Amino acid sequence: MHKLLIGLMVSASLFSTQSVAFDFGKALEDAAKQKIEEVKSGSGAANTEQAKTPAETEATKSATESGATVVPDEKAFNWKNPSTAEEIALGREITGSILGAAPLVKDDKLQQYVNKVGRWVASQSERADLPWKFGVIESSDLNAFAAPGGYVLITKGLYQQLNNEAQLAGILGHEIAHIVQKHQLKVLQKQQLVNIGAGLITDKLSKGNKLAQKAIGSGAEISARSLDKEAEYEADRMGVVLAVRAGYDAFGLPEVLQEIGQTNKTDNSVALLFKTHPHPDERLTKLGDSAGNKLDNLKAGKTLENRFYKLTK
Amino acid sequence: MKIDLHKKNYLKALLLISLASPALGLCGEVGTALKADTLRLTPFADAKTVGSLNKNDAVDILAKKGAWLQVKTKKSTGWVRLLSVKRGGVSSSNQVKGLADVASGRAGTGKVVSTTGIRGLSAEELKTAQFNETEMKKLESYTLTPKDGQKFATAGGLTTTPLAYFKGAQ
Repeated sequence: MHKLLIGLMVSASLFSTQSVAFDFGKALEDAAKQKIEEVKSGSGAANTEQAKTPAETEATKSATESGATVVPDEKAFNWKNPSTAEEIALGREITGSILGAAPLVKDDKLQQYVNKVGRWVASQSERADLPWKFGVIESSDLNAFAAPGGYVLITKGLYQQLNNEAQLAGILGHEIAHIVQKHQLKVLQKQQLVNIGAGLITDKLSKGNKLAQKAIGSGAEISARSLDKEAEYEADRMGVVLAVRAGYDAFGLPEVLQEIGQTNKTDNSVALLFKTHPHPDERLTKLGDSAGNKLDNLKAGKTLENRFYKLTK
Repeated sequence: MKIDLHKKNYLKALLLISLASPALGLCGEVGTALKADTLRLTPFADAKTVGSLNKNDAVDILAKKGAWLQVKTKKSTGWVRLLSVKRGGVSSSNQVKGLADVASGRAGTGKVVSTTGIRGLSAEELKTAQFNETEMKKLESYTLTPKDGQKFATAGGLTTTPLAYFKGAQ
């Protein structure tokens, strides 16, 4: 496990430095293709079948040959072009690991409320068909997380900063946008193709919960890393638009950014958020620049503070 | 005619603001200009210019209306786009540090004091986290259908508004 994680980190840094020097992407693609072929034909270093019983191997084969529904843990994960089912399976692993670090707040009404708001906002997106899931987790940090396939978590600390439903809709809209644009998935794909190309891992995955561990180290590790700044700005822009489409006031997300911007940079509650995101001031500035006059003449959206589910601090 | 309309809106805005001010968190606060922008007589992009803001100018936030904030600078009072102003002074974020640390039970050590019951979520904790199937099942149990979402929206009087995504600024 640990070794694997180190391997992943090394290869990730390799990628970021070498990609500048030459077309690493192409070389990588070729290496990945070759590796995948090796796995398909059952030859090469990737053929690590010893852990499987003959029956399991047989089952995997027939499932592959018949073109049956992709069950990610019984077939090579298609990192080049993951199916929605694979994306969801990956997101489940990541989210389950975050939940291992911070469980859900034990408040059914709260969780149901957040799912209602989130489900409605997600329905305004281009991926309304995903089985969207939302949760508030036990952490005093100010943060929110998205994982591939429609998983969104928000910390109790951030939730307690909110005053109305439009603000919640804006935050969830930002996370929904990450999933719609497959921001994390793309980072993982890139990293996996590097690893496969470098021979650090095989693209065969073991069963059950090992999927993400085998693929990405600890499932939640990706959530502790930064996306491109541009991905965050894009999620802000889309988050605002999704909230507006859902009938909310456009300024829920900006208001929360205003609020978070007031928090001291050295406060632990924003340590991870500020490490992985541009500062709220920068985000507001970018949002203002890109919005221009597009938010000027909208019909008045709702803030719905009256039905906002309040959490006692 | 146009000016009259603006005046009317301005009065309406003032009325609304005086009625709703307790709910408007920004009003009565100080703010800082995030960028240079124009101050206008009324909250409309084509309203008369009454002044300007430079980046980092301190302002008093007087009112909010839609996409606009009414702010007072040393020289003038006018309306500016909400996204051009941040809350607080330039260095205000450094003044609350001690207090925030004490309040969150983390003064000094940089670690969460477990006895307070407050816990953070660090990068390290995420890296070492183990999958929790029970919590995952619970999360999955809350999954709603699009229809559920629609019902909830209707109950709140939310109606959809078409709006295209906007592109990033260059």
